[in-house]
Amino acid sequence: MGALSILVGQEQGHAPVTVFEIEGDIDAATYTELQDKAAEAIEAGAANLLLDLGQVEYMGSAGFRAIHSIANMLNTEQKPGMHKSEHVKLLNPKGEVARVIETLGFDSFLEIYDDRNAAVASF
Amino acid sequence: MKFEEKKKVLRNCSFLSGLHDSILASLADHSSILDLEAQTPILTKGEDGSNMFFIASGRVKVHDDDVVLAYLGVGDVFGEMAVLDSGVRSASVTTEKRTRLLCLEREDLWHVIAQSPDSLRTIIASVLQRERDIVKDVTTRTAQLQAYEKELEIGRRIQADFLPEYIPEVENWEIASFFEAAREVSGDFFDVFEFGPDGYIALVIGDVCDKGVGAALFMTLFRSLIRATCQLGALNHQIASKASSEDHIRQILQTSIDSTNRYIATTHSKSSMFASVFFGVLETDSGKMIYINAGHESPVIFKRKGDPVILERTGGVLGLFDFARYNIAATKLEKDDLLFSYTDGVNEAKNEAGEQFSDWRILQAGASGWSDVQGLLDNVLSQIKEFRGRAAQSDDITMLAIACLGKSRDKAKSLV
Repeated sequence: MGALSILVGQEQGHAPVTVFEIEGDIDAATYTELQDKAAEAIEAGAANLLLDLGQVEYMGSAGFRAIHSIANMLNTEQKPGMHKSEHVKLLNPKGEVARVIETLGFDSFLEIYDDRNAAVASF
Repeated sequence: MKFEEKKKVLRNCSFLSGLHDSILASLADHSSILDLEAQTPILTKGEDGSNMFFIASGRVKVHDDDVVLAYLGVGDVFGEMAVLDSGVRSASVTTEKRTRLLCLEREDLWHVIAQSPDSLRTIIASVLQRERDIVKDVTTRTAQLQAYEKELEIGRRIQADFLPEYIPEVENWEIASFFEAAREVSGDFFDVFEFGPDGYIALVIGDVCDKGVGAALFMTLFRSLIRATCQLGALNHQIASKASSEDHIRQILQTSIDSTNRYIATTHSKSSMFASVFFGVLETDSGKMIYINAGHESPVIFKRKGDPVILERTGGVLGLFDFARYNIAATKLEKDDLLFSYTDGVNEAKNEAGEQFSDWRILQAGASGWSDVQGLLDNVLSQIKEFRGRAAQSDDITMLAIACLGKSRDKAKSLV
């Protein structure tokens, strides 16, 4: 059972952004760690989350469900005409993770960046 | 802890009940006290053990990794099996809270017992009583398990009703399907049905995330919503204009997918359950097909001659975000073309080395030709089985394929 390591950082875009640097596999055994960490950050006032997937080798359907539940936790009213989540964005998915994101079409729900500064500035 | 207190702990232990006072005194004399904090591992499954423990205060958990087998408290004993038969520990034991134990070494136990045949009889009786308790427990659990299995079997039979009872026979077209669940109930589904008066058929294949009962519940929901919204759309249209048109069919497809997505994304948002779905509507006269691929493995159109056509996704998975958008794409099946759709149980089937069957083996199977549509499914399936070797089937496998044998519209033209 691989545990998840999540390093929490703070950045300032147009609004404050909480960055999770995630390391490990996000699967049925670990997704609750991600969910719990997000709930903790949101409880403490975080309104924007950037999930850095650069060091995630594998993400199963449990990981995608966790991201959805995080988007739900942050959900304020979606502005009309907006077709992507405004408060959760992804940074740097690679390899198999990038492939699954594309297959499931999560790139049509969430903004995905490969540059941290650009990602932060987008919030 | 004084000697008398140790003796009291042993006397309160049902495992030793009936032992003569002098024997208890002797055991108390040889036992040592162990004070442990909460969450301290005491025994580890599989390791050798030479001592047994009596609980004086506190509570421990008997477990196999994450599976808890029992909780033990004051008056209970553990570790006696490995002491009596010199085998390895049969389970792990960890403290639940601050716990005080009396610890007795194997050699000391046998030394004391050797002095009194009566004490041996008492201990054998205790071990046998334990065995009787275990048999009773196993009997109860087996009965419970059988009841659960029966429930699952009922679930499996009901779920089978959510797959099409028959595949419609359509002139000039040949349709075949394959479905095999990895467990009793499944998150995969497919559907084939005719709708509207003008020879349209709907081809649906989907895969709900995860496996087991949760996925199965959502499978019935996705399948029913798609079919019901589609047929309702066709019915509304029939009432309104009495004739089908491409625009209306597009509208029905779009509404069916959009409303299914929105319904689940809003009504069942908390479950975070999603499905990848390919939904194609084929005009059987012309072979024209419009489709939405919502995050599903890309179906392939194999051609007798020429490169296969990949039907890429046109949107993300269904059921998560009510703001998601799904585009419609169009393609056309010509005579002798074969559309092959599948769920990830096919391309992600694993062999013993953990490698995946992958998309290119599917493309190869198509490239090597087929006699008829059933022949292609049989070929892919036998290749998966051969590839998998002795590795177990880990995911549901579903395939749906349709081949064009000719076209009535083309024939009509050739008659002119």
